[in-house]
Amino acid sequence: MSSKGKVASSVAGERINSELFTLTYGALVRHLLLDLESPEEVNKQLDRMGQNIGVRLVDDFLAKTNTTRCRNFKEAVKTIADTGFKMFLGIDAKVTQIGDKECKMVLNDNPLIDFVELPEKLEPLSYCNLLCGVIRGALEQVSMKVEVLISKDPLKGDERFELHMKLLEYINEEYPFADD
Amino acid sequence: MSQRGSVLPSLVDRHILTSKTRNDVGVGAFAFLFSEIVQYSQTRVSNVSELERKLADVGFDVGVRMLELLVHREKAGKRENRILGILSFLHTNVWKNLFGKTADSLEKGTSADDEYMISDHDLLVNRYISVPRDMGHLNCGAFAAGIVEGVLKSAGFPARVTAHSVASEGLSRPKTTILIKFAPEVIERDEKLGS
Amino acid sequence: MVCYNMYIFNRDGVCLHYQEWSRPKHVKDGAGTLVDDAKMMFGLLFSLKNVCTAIDPTREVKRPLGAPTPHGEGCSFRSFTTDCYKLHYLDSPSGIKIVLNTSTDLGNLEKHMWQIYSNLYCEYVVKNPLYTVGEPFECEQFVQNLNKLIKSLG
Repeated sequence: MSSKGKVASSVAGERINSELFTLTYGALVRHLLLDLESPEEVNKQLDRMGQNIGVRLVDDFLAKTNTTRCRNFKEAVKTIADTGFKMFLGIDAKVTQIGDKECKMVLNDNPLIDFVELPEKLEPLSYCNLLCGVIRGALEQVSMKVEVLISKDPLKGDERFELHMKLLEYINEEYPFADD
Repeated sequence: MSQRGSVLPSLVDRHILTSKTRNDVGVGAFAFLFSEIVQYSQTRVSNVSELERKLADVGFDVGVRMLELLVHREKAGKRENRILGILSFLHTNVWKNLFGKTADSLEKGTSADDEYMISDHDLLVNRYISVPRDMGHLNCGAFAAGIVEGVLKSAGFPARVTAHSVASEGLSRPKTTILIKFAPEVIERDEKLGS
Repeated sequence: MVCYNMYIFNRDGVCLHYQEWSRPKHVKDGAGTLVDDAKMMFGLLFSLKNVCTAIDPTREVKRPLGAPTPHGEGCSFRSFTTDCYKLHYLDSPSGIKIVLNTSTDLGNLEKHMWQIYSNLYCEYVVKNPLYTVGEPFECEQFVQNLNKLIKSLG
């Protein structure tokens, strides 16, 4: 991504204590479990909500980092890892494998899961599914249709949190109205 | 929640015991999460007061857990038993931990003895908001009211807590006032404990 | 100097917001209705960008001339001036398009356009919990601050 000014290598914008965020997210997941009853439905809902967040968040990101152009999947992934996670969640992420259409990203920390342990009956719950939606929603706004999956999850016994991203296609700009 | 057979130290213990603000999140992350909670809640309710109730319920959950964390950490397990003590704990410690600053004021209600008000000129959940006309008096501060109610309830001070927008001189935007009306037994107990 | 009106579109051509400060020539005498007016404006932006991209002499493009380009690619113009008015334009990589029509005596407003996007649209619309993405908005805080900014231009 190219920028008008300096890309914020330090973190742009006001910060707040992660606990408000973490506890609020936890409260949301609990309410979704009450409302929707099945963990699978909650996964879907978290993904949808994440997507909506991504669609909003991308504008904030572009504005705060003065980004005026997004080129390709590789660059986008690097930007998410180097700047995106830091800016929004205050954490470092590292791209561990990358190709033109696929990558893996490891988070060194994840504020979403502070204070969380999954009881066995919630085994199917993908607690952080929101994150997948956020990345998908954000990238879709800048022309990249991607698939995002949680490939490693500390809540399921893995040591680190890892995301697997795959580029499906670039979206072209099309005239949205039928010609009169 | 039940323990899983994991080799890792319990995440819960690990984080309660480490000092607070181990990392900070961008204010945007919370704003977007909160927005989505509001958007989702709107699909589950049929009117403005139900929406406020729903937001307060989510806040309540946050309040209960916030109290656990703070009591653990800041007060070494000691609990408040007086009304003024718990109110100042809310106004100062809870607010600081949630919003990075103390609330702007803590006042006693003028009309009733069992009412208190905590006000904030720039409450995070109301900062970016514009309420559309068809939603009338909706106040998303209901979420913060829910947090306050959750803290109070689990500290043993049941109360009815509501959020209100109050226009005030010299401020371009109305401040948010959290109105706390304590249950009668709380007032009685406090009176017995004397001054 | 005069600011006439402003449009904000999303990538799907939805006019998210329209604001008018002065419009001596009524819509009725132009496109007819505000809906058609917005559609015409969007069509102008879309075609102009495509033409700008097609005749771009600077960059090697792998796709054939006139073929659809990904969002955020191609050449976005920043303003154009006619005999009667000047159109200032910002096209974000996410497809948010902000158009401001002013009198021809206004200089470069790129900074202000970016301010409208980053300080006003992103703060008071995108972060407004009651705003549903993709729908037209009338956010009071956005409008108030926009009016302030527009006033400061003169």
